[in-house]
Amino acid sequence: MSAQDIILSSGTSELTPAAQVRRKLSKVAKLFDATKCNGCKACQVSCSEWNDLRAPVGSFQGSYQNPMDLSSECWTLMKYQEVEENNKLNWRFAHSACMHCDDPACLTACSTKGAIVQRANGVVDFDSDKCTGCGYCVSACPFDVPRLDPIDQKAYKCTMCSDRIQVGQEPACVKSCITGALKYGTREDMLFIADLRIKELRKRGYVNAGLYNPEGVGGTGMIMILHDINQPQNYGLPADPKTSVPIKLWQDVVKPLGAAGIIATVAVACLHRITVGRNLVEEDEPAQFDHTHSDKSDKE
Amino acid sequence: MHKQNMILRHKLFDRICHWFVVATGLVTFLTGFAFFFPSFQWLGSIAGTPQMARFVHPIAGLMMCLPLMVMLVRYYHHNKWEKNDLTWMLAIKDVMFENEDKIPAIGHYNPGQKVLFRTFVVTSIALTITGIMMWQPYFAPYFEASAIQWAILIHAICAVIMLIFVIVHFWMATWVEGSVAGMLYGYVSRAWCKKHHPNMLNDPELKTNKQEKH
Ligand code: SF4
Ligand code: SF4
Repeated sequence: MSAQDIILSSGTSELTPAAQVRRKLSKVAKLFDATKCNGCKACQVSCSEWNDLRAPVGSFQGSYQNPMDLSSECWTLMKYQEVEENNKLNWRFAHSACMHCDDPACLTACSTKGAIVQRANGVVDFDSDKCTGCGYCVSACPFDVPRLDPIDQKAYKCTMCSDRIQVGQEPACVKSCITGALKYGTREDMLFIADLRIKELRKRGYVNAGLYNPEGVGGTGMIMILHDINQPQNYGLPADPKTSVPIKLWQDVVKPLGAAGIIATVAVACLHRITVGRNLVEEDEPAQFDHTHSDKSDKE
Repeated sequence: MHKQNMILRHKLFDRICHWFVVATGLVTFLTGFAFFFPSFQWLGSIAGTPQMARFVHPIAGLMMCLPLMVMLVRYYHHNKWEKNDLTWMLAIKDVMFENEDKIPAIGHYNPGQKVLFRTFVVTSIALTITGIMMWQPYFAPYFEASAIQWAILIHAICAVIMLIFVIVHFWMATWVEGSVAGMLYGYVSRAWCKKHHPNMLNDPELKTNKQEKH
């Protein structure tokens, strides 16, 4: 994939846009079907294998989940959410990784040019070489995905295996999914398949089954079929993810207003300087100057 | 002009503080500008690389804000609001256009400088607190993501306000000639005081060069 395939880049504005797509690519998506997942962690392991990630061995925390959280060395994590329904304990397996938002909050928040890009196929990718480790993306992501690495202080997250998909393969997690809970293809196809599956689930009694593809972030490149679409928190997912108010205010209001304010102040200062001019004090003892003057006139 | 009659306006400690704040502030603002406006990322190069700028910025920021606050405490007594201040404020147009006969007499600092002082107090406190909250990797992990987002916003707003006031400060200081020399060497002439800060001459603690030395 070339630089022309980048449609959004952090640290740029409408005045300095990223390289524009010249080839029309269809957006891709991963489809996770929580109703098919059995929590085997094949996706988690293959992600760590393909991307050569080695999260430190943790300690037992009373859960089958391991490690307990995403990290710079764990880009895909099977979360074992324990949910109580009708006095029965249920597991809700959540394949947690970057959602590849269409309108990514991480990219909006990042001030470093090109550290976060969105490719024409919709994949949101980090260029760690440019990352400065400010952590803005970490706090901005509504899904709490990117993490700073403790060693190199750069942000990392799931890349949707850009290296695999650019040569026509599916992401490693999808490749290894044994139950068919993970699928990969164009977004259009995935939405179509999800639709059929949800209809089937509803017929089978899961009346609240639905697709998690939140509007607030413009839809995601990882869409999820949930047993109950009204309870996304059961999967550790936010109900209404979006770019937060302070981040929008900061990027869209404070920056342009700040620029205007700074330029205006400098302009007024310069104007004042060349119109009003110097504010000199006339010293009350100019004797020395008089003296040199008379000296000069003597010689002339 | 006799050097002995010069009036001490800034003590040595305050002068050192001031120029230390200027030096660290320059680094802080140039590196900060690089994150605030990505098109000015090259300004961060004063620290070497963008990564280095990111590392240096909070440290330089603390080195700017802490001595600045020490200085602000030391100048506190000069910056209390006085009775002539409101009339001076209302005569701001005459001040700007040098209609000197119409400007009310003021003391060590004029109300414009007092507003500047207050702004520096508020923004430097806010910048220090929010800066610590967003400081990766040391402090940010202890704060909620939403708290950090607000901290980033407030940090940016305060930085812009402070920068605008720094520009005003620089512009006024270079316009009123003799002020920069006063901040560099500590002393201003009697005539300078009379012109710009006449009530300063009534200060019972006023020290001239002669009195200092003897
Ligand atoms: S899930 Fe988070 S890290 Fe991934 S694209 Fe969306 S905002 Fe960025
Ligand atoms: S940590 Fe890196 S990728 Fe994240 S916002 Fe900062 S510079 Fe951008």
